[in-house]
Amino acid sequence: MTSTTVEVVSCDFFMQQPELTPTSVLRDGGRLIWRFVRRHPISFSVAVFGAAIYASAIIVASLVIGWVTDTIVIPVLDEGESYTGLLLPAAVAILGVAVIKAVGIVVRRTSAGYLQLRTRQDIRNDLLDHELSLKMAWFNRQSIGDLLAVADSDVDQGTGVLGPLPYATGVILLLVGSLVMITAIDPWIGLGALLGLIIVIVVDIKGSWVTYRLWEVVQEARSKVSSVAHESFDGALTIKSLGREQYVSDHFRVTSDALRDDLIKVNSTWTSYQTVIRALPQAVSIVLIVVGAVRIDAGLLSPGDLVTVAYLLALLAFPIQLIGFVLWDLAGSQAGWKRIEEVFAADDFVGYGDLYATTSGGAAPVLSEKVDFAYEVGVNVLEDLDLDLDAGVTLAVVGPTASGKSTLTRLLARLWDPDSGGIRVDGRDIREFALSELPREVSYVSQEAFLFDDTVAGNIKLGDEFSSDQVETAARLAGAHKFIEDLPDGYETELGERGTTLSGGQRQRIALARALIRKPRVMILDDATSAVDPSVEAEILRSLKSAALPSTIVVVAYRPASIRLADEVVYVDNRTVVAHGTHEELLRTEPGYARLVQAYEDDARRMEQEAS
Amino acid sequence: MSNEESTGKVIGQALTIAPALREGLKLTLFMAMVGQGVTIVTPIVLQQIIDEDILSPGGIDFGSVLSKAAIAVAALIVGIIVGRAALLRLIRSSSIGLSDMRTKTFNHLLRQSVLHVQAERRGNMVSRVTSDITTLQEFMEWGGVSLVVASSQVFLATAVMFLYQWRLALISLVGVFLYLILMRWFQKILQRNYDSVRVEVGQSLGVLSEAITAIPVVRAYGTEAATQEKVAVALEARFRREFRTNWFGNSLFSSAEIFAGMLTTAIVVAGVVIGVNQGMTAGQLIAFFFLTNLLIEPLQIVVETLEFSQSAASGLRRVLEVLQSPVEIEDPDDPESLRADGLSVRFDRVRFAYPTGPDVLTDVSLEIPVGARVAVVGETGSGKTTFAKLLVRLLDPSDGEIRVGGVDLARIPLAELRSRIAFVPQEGFLFDTTVADNVRYGRPEATDAEIFTAFHELDLGDWLSTLPAGLDTVVGERGGNLSAGERQLVALVRSWIASPDLLVLDEATSAVDPALDVALRHAMERLTEGRTAVTIAHRLATAESADAVFVFDRGRLVESGPHRDLLAAGGIYSDLYADWTTGTKSI
Repeated sequence: MTSTTVEVVSCDFFMQQPELTPTSVLRDGGRLIWRFVRRHPISFSVAVFGAAIYASAIIVASLVIGWVTDTIVIPVLDEGESYTGLLLPAAVAILGVAVIKAVGIVVRRTSAGYLQLRTRQDIRNDLLDHELSLKMAWFNRQSIGDLLAVADSDVDQGTGVLGPLPYATGVILLLVGSLVMITAIDPWIGLGALLGLIIVIVVDIKGSWVTYRLWEVVQEARSKVSSVAHESFDGALTIKSLGREQYVSDHFRVTSDALRDDLIKVNSTWTSYQTVIRALPQAVSIVLIVVGAVRIDAGLLSPGDLVTVAYLLALLAFPIQLIGFVLWDLAGSQAGWKRIEEVFAADDFVGYGDLYATTSGGAAPVLSEKVDFAYEVGVNVLEDLDLDLDAGVTLAVVGPTASGKSTLTRLLARLWDPDSGGIRVDGRDIREFALSELPREVSYVSQEAFLFDDTVAGNIKLGDEFSSDQVETAARLAGAHKFIEDLPDGYETELGERGTTLSGGQRQRIALARALIRKPRVMILDDATSAVDPSVEAEILRSLKSAALPSTIVVVAYRPASIRLADEVVYVDNRTVVAHGTHEELLRTEPGYARLVQAYEDDARRMEQEAS
Repeated sequence: MSNEESTGKVIGQALTIAPALREGLKLTLFMAMVGQGVTIVTPIVLQQIIDEDILSPGGIDFGSVLSKAAIAVAALIVGIIVGRAALLRLIRSSSIGLSDMRTKTFNHLLRQSVLHVQAERRGNMVSRVTSDITTLQEFMEWGGVSLVVASSQVFLATAVMFLYQWRLALISLVGVFLYLILMRWFQKILQRNYDSVRVEVGQSLGVLSEAITAIPVVRAYGTEAATQEKVAVALEARFRREFRTNWFGNSLFSSAEIFAGMLTTAIVVAGVVIGVNQGMTAGQLIAFFFLTNLLIEPLQIVVETLEFSQSAASGLRRVLEVLQSPVEIEDPDDPESLRADGLSVRFDRVRFAYPTGPDVLTDVSLEIPVGARVAVVGETGSGKTTFAKLLVRLLDPSDGEIRVGGVDLARIPLAELRSRIAFVPQEGFLFDTTVADNVRYGRPEATDAEIFTAFHELDLGDWLSTLPAGLDTVVGERGGNLSAGERQLVALVRSWIASPDLLVLDEATSAVDPALDVALRHAMERLTEGRTAVTIAHRLATAESADAVFVFDRGRLVESGPHRDLLAAGGIYSDLYADWTTGTKSI
């Protein structure tokens, strides 16, 4: 069973991206790198310069070792000469090269780090800017978890190649330089080294490529494990109360074991190639030592030259392994970048006009004409909806479950735009407002109160200038002042992940205060007090009524007590406004409305009749 | 207790929990050592050929050169085969061991109440079975492998050095030792910087993810510019911290190159000076240049994996913490089965408190006869939900006893308990699959026809027909394609289809509109005839028609009896009821 899962995953994967080949990785990778490097050309150039210093230092180091062999080691140890006067230059040479190498490393790694870190910062800022300008329709199609992953791990992965890139450039310089130098020492050994290195590099690239493809399968399996864990833990209460622990455990085990098998596969492959790649340069060295011995015997080479070649090959062994890694990073960067690019490619922008808000006008009339709306094409949520609301009216929106009430409020606040028809506030189409202007006239409070990782006061002010008196007045009106006072630091209490946890009703009241403090011309409450105890809710609504707010208020409500406080009621059913009038009028004229609102009363009456 | 000791202890515990990790470990390590022999082949063969052939007075004997090369190549091949086999064994055992550990941790967590009691910690718990285990896995596969490879290499290189010339070998060892101390010191200095980088990274990600999550609010309040600014500031602070640490780390580590140069210099000088008197050959000293590199290179790897091993160790600690926390709800050792007929309920002086908190429920005693329909009411925070969770054994009481059907709740086998008692929580959690499959969580063997019937029994046929694909409608992640009220409907059918003898509803229809709520309640009353039903009511209409009402206030059962009696008594219930009637009065 497990192995079938693996195969299915890999099949899917290969079907999705049939075009991926080492050549395409190099070509597209080159383009990606160019895109990054273009923005920070200087840091990239400096990094490559550092890598060149580093490469030269390695070549010179092996020359120094060869020179030490010929001028000190062999004469002194083999021929019995005196070492006086020879040791100081040798020490200076070896240490000097080491210092140069160290400088090269610092220059390379620091500028490469700058390049990579700055690029990440740029992309993250750009991503948020882009997302902020897109329509809610686009967000609705994404999972928030995926978007967060794009901004976090995908950005890291997408720019992963920038770290080792200068080093890789240095390794190429090192390889070319080494071959040139070895050939200069002896053409036959040079030829042997060339052949040997080509074999090593081919095996290396092949190994990285094969492993990379397997690695992507592992990533899929890993995200599967994570999503099973997430869903199971989120639904833990349901799973336990239904006694389905074993079923869920088995499901998780299968997923985890699939990951295990994929991991064994990828790591075994990787290790097999790595073992060969580590041993190959040694084999090349041994062959070249034999060739070298022949050339020394013919008087064409000094023992020191042979030591230089062997030493250089030993120093090359490690960097050569990294060529394969760069291919990995390149392919990985493209995978990460692809997901980033999908976000950048979204062009479902919210259109804005150039109208400025008029905040001083008092309560504003609201008009909706022939509004049609669907979240998904073909499944209309609102149809031909008309609504005409006078300034300063408090309107209750009432309707059965899933009738489109919440959608209506989202359109009024312009979180979404109607597919056809239009909405006007004080005679102006709300699509004509400039960015951030409409919210200065229209405040919207949803059922899910989102609180920021900030203080209570910060959550109410939301970045705008308000005095602490204003904050307190708004909180009082929202029925929140009392419990805020009781928090450890009152209005300065930190909320959010690392702060105090509030109950659902408390969160909703803070969100309500956030709208009230702005004294909007239109205030929209979408079941915004659903988690507040009924008696508290009634109190809030009463105080809102008596506060004489300069607002037209639209409130989605179930509780008759809340509905009774409204001046007018619209009854929404079957995707449109069925009736609009006062509560009493609707009770008389709309049987559906009466049934809904009086459900409990009717029920109580019926039960009494049955009892008697 | 020092950090090193506790790390050792932690590893020991891990080996006990996942025995696959330790299977055949000794043989694996021995094989890895043999396999690593490949790295010392070149220095030895070079020394042999230089000393015995190139520098021999008699000139070069090609037969001897070739046979030495042939032996070396043969050694390489053996090394490749054995070394590969060793690493494959290591990979297998670690993957199997860690997958076992992951599953164990998952199962353990699934049985903890933290998931439904402290919802905000769920994400944290997920990382126990994802990122924490992944860190361990990566450590085993990359860090662990290179650690094994590197230490074998150090061991072998040192051994060869001692064979050649022990005085020089000693100098190398002392040098390497100093180098290691130097690197450890750098590592410690850097650790503080890494910590502050982590804080800055966490902060910037927090700000960024909050901005993305809050986009509807940002749009509703027009705070786009302020949000961008806040994120930009956090990202800039992160860049500065990361760049400074990066620069600092590069400088520290590159200075190690200079140290390596000093060691090579010391070998040259000492080799020449000491070697002359000790009869050291040129080939041996040349081999030392190579061997010194073989010593230093793996140490760099070891030091770089130290950071890795520390995060792996702390991941392991977190996983063990989970595994060592006691299972809260355990299957009984001396089980007692329920009888086949209806279920009564009895609470006897039940108290409940979370380990570090105050009492949530105090001294609750009550009795519910077979087939009774009772309502539980009270304000938010009065302990109603805790009462329900105790009744269905999602929590165990701190004191007192709960009996269902006359049997101590803690002695009923869990599988039996879950099949006889159904609990419908308020949240109505749905899995990302079809409506029908969600209902099947209640009874896996239910057919589509049975599920269809169940919806109709509960008067939900009309609603079902409004769904785009009926029973096959996919509900989306966490049921996101449905409204909160609709999710509750599916959750209700899901519990209903299990046909339980005791049904516990915790505000299970709070998001459903009043007319549908009333219809549902009548359907439930019809269907649960003869079964015991406990309803935690947000709408007191449920209480009016119940056989008995239990009123909770601040963790205590304060009133109980039929609706009329309680109303007449004029206590808390009559206040709540007055609130409710004014609330529902339409005129």
